[in-house]
Amino acid sequence: MFPFIAKRTATLVAAVLVSSFAVFLIPYFTPGDPVRTIIRSRVSGNIIDDADVQALSLSLGLQDPLIVQYFSWLGRIATGDMGLSHVSRTPVADQVLPALAVTLSLVAAALALAVLVSLPLGIVAGLRHGKPADRVITSVTQSFIAMPEYWVAPLLVLVFALKLSVLPSAGWSGPESMVLPALTLALRPISYFTSAVRAGMIDAAAAEHVPAARARGLSVPQAVLRHVIPNGLVPLSTLVAVWFAGLLGGSVIVEVIFAVPGMGRLLFDAVVNSDIPLAQGGVVLVVALAVLVTTLADFVHRALTPAVEGSYA
Amino acid sequence: MLPVKRSRPILAVAAVLALSGCGFSGGQPAQESSAAADTSQRIVVDNFRAPVADWAVESDAAYILSLSGCLETLTKFDQAKGEVVPSLATEWKQHSPLEWDFTIRDGVKFQDGTALTAESVATALNHVLKATVPARAFNSKIISSVSVPQEGTVRVTTPTESPLVPYRLASVNSGILSPAAYEGERTNPFGHCTGPFVPVSEVAQQSLTLDRNPDYWGGDVQLAGAEIRFITNGATRAAQVQTGEADISMSIPAASLSSLENADGLSVLKADSPRTATLYMNNGRAPLDNVDVRTAIRDALDLESLAASVYEGAALPATGVFASSEPWAGTTGEAPKQDLDGAKKLLADAGYTADRPLEIIAIVERAEFADVAAVIQDNLKAVGIPVSIVTKEYAAAEPDVIAGNYDMLLSQRNRLIDIADPAGFLSADYTCSGSYNLSHFCDPEYDQLLAKAATTVDPEERYSLYAQAGGILTEKAVNVWLVNEQATDAVRNNVLGYVQDPLSRYVLTAQTAKTAS
Repeated sequence: MFPFIAKRTATLVAAVLVSSFAVFLIPYFTPGDPVRTIIRSRVSGNIIDDADVQALSLSLGLQDPLIVQYFSWLGRIATGDMGLSHVSRTPVADQVLPALAVTLSLVAAALALAVLVSLPLGIVAGLRHGKPADRVITSVTQSFIAMPEYWVAPLLVLVFALKLSVLPSAGWSGPESMVLPALTLALRPISYFTSAVRAGMIDAAAAEHVPAARARGLSVPQAVLRHVIPNGLVPLSTLVAVWFAGLLGGSVIVEVIFAVPGMGRLLFDAVVNSDIPLAQGGVVLVVALAVLVTTLADFVHRALTPAVEGSYA
Repeated sequence: MLPVKRSRPILAVAAVLALSGCGFSGGQPAQESSAAADTSQRIVVDNFRAPVADWAVESDAAYILSLSGCLETLTKFDQAKGEVVPSLATEWKQHSPLEWDFTIRDGVKFQDGTALTAESVATALNHVLKATVPARAFNSKIISSVSVPQEGTVRVTTPTESPLVPYRLASVNSGILSPAAYEGERTNPFGHCTGPFVPVSEVAQQSLTLDRNPDYWGGDVQLAGAEIRFITNGATRAAQVQTGEADISMSIPAASLSSLENADGLSVLKADSPRTATLYMNNGRAPLDNVDVRTAIRDALDLESLAASVYEGAALPATGVFASSEPWAGTTGEAPKQDLDGAKKLLADAGYTADRPLEIIAIVERAEFADVAAVIQDNLKAVGIPVSIVTKEYAAAEPDVIAGNYDMLLSQRNRLIDIADPAGFLSADYTCSGSYNLSHFCDPEYDQLLAKAATTVDPEERYSLYAQAGGILTEKAVNVWLVNEQATDAVRNNVLGYVQDPLSRYVLTAQTAKTAS
């Protein structure tokens, strides 16, 4: 167990270092002067005085060598200080923590919905392998992959907000405002989860211990409940963790369309505005959380499949 | 919960309607219900931007504070009259060529209960002057100092004579907050404005909630409160006003116009905005250094088709450098008509040889510019000018454009981004020493007109000089001004007293009201 935790801790540190440095470099490897971008994000318009660029650059410490700037940030983050946003000059933590809470709620809701839908669909498709039910479920859920969020979201707004008037079209003010963004985000995971559960069920049903259980006198439903379904669900835990990590920073389209004040939108704006401390703070939190969630998923996986335990060493 | 005043609603609505009918302000009033205002109503406004710079008054966040009825300025620009009118200052006069004195209105209190004084005004304006990222309209290069020469008077001193100081004090970036707003590093508008609405809570990146200011100096406030939502996606703003979740949605995108125009219970308002999509031409590089070639390019373009197709009616063909409704537009007449034969003749007279394709840079920040460039490419091909198109972020294109290493650029410019007068735009963009002279145009006669306008106090006379300057730009075909964009807002029909402001500075006022249904 200890080597596993040590390895995961090292992964966490490495991931934070690499991702934060990559984010740090983005403004310097994209066209245009980052200081001018910061100014334009505060005061719209095209004309910028060179003296203002110099003054702001000096004030933000952006004239220091890049490596000095990066290690200065690293020193602060090691003490828990995320610093001030270049654009708003407010503490980064005050912006990223509320946004993270919103995105966590949204992603948790979307994945819970995806699991709730894909579990029965995947089980039925797996147990009815090759039959019409399997074909219908598979083709419908696979079609979700081809539906981009920027297409699904307006469609859902059209139906549920404009035509039926049963749900709000946007905002983040209560459980009802979570439904459409969560549903939009859930569609692609539903597709992948259903496919994984289906495949897991087919593999589990074909395993040797199922006929053995039947030979011990278990009925078909009992054998399915005790052996096929639990084993068929094993791949799902890992998949949910991977999607959770991916959606933490990857829900920007849904957040923009539904005006959700979440992490994806915050990170996108931070990168567009060359707000390096804000982008770095956000990425550090997202990456750390992603590593923790996938680690947790490994523990769950281990609990469900003791045979995997050896691989942790 | 703040006490709700139910005071004279019918009289107030009548006054609002009368004022709107008299052209009290610019833009278009919404189609209003005949029902009476219900002073217990609250209103939801979907705005297109969120405050990215906390609530710093020198930043664009000031627009949100202003449109939400919190932040007020010493003067206001009346769009319909085309002039500056009193607000927190009752009058002003030029004390000396470099000094303007503003008389501060008596009896005004900040929402924290302290009195508006000349000293508090000077504190607020000096805070803006010290900003690291300065405001365009009010900064230390334009304003030397702000002082209090005597009780009740604020003196604004400029480094050179400027008739535009009252205009600068109408800019939202010179809004006045009480001194307590500037304690600490951050600007805190909560409880520190003078306007009809008091900000009470904020959800970061989402909304600002305001309640009625029961002690507003400008009369009874007709709404109990408001919520300003920050919704950057245009389609979402359109959907919210259509469902009734929002009462007013600002800046409706072209793609949503037809559905909203056919929807029940709301009106779509349009007004000329000071934004013109422009085909910048490099007047300093062959072949575009030849006025005949530039004129031929203008004549080759079909602006009416462009406005109708790419812009889906959300923009009008441009008649010149100004929108025709602007008070300084002069007699601009109609938009140039496509004249392919004339264009070919001009090219032949200029000795134009299509020895290389001209490059159009279409900036990606405006998604429609890729289509606009394609239309232009097609139009110019018809007169024998080969064109290649590249798409770039503005920041990537800017260094080459300013250095003069380009042929043509598709971009858009707000003429009134700093103040409600085009002096800054005309000077920066088209004078020989202009700091943003992308066209690399230089004409001494034009510069003389601008220099004269810079010291002309009388607006009529100044506007006439701007019109003459605009005439030179048209005559020399410096650029092709393609389409004037329309400011488009959607308003539910139970909203009363809403008058559209093309610059989105004034949305909620004491007179804005709403009926019960």
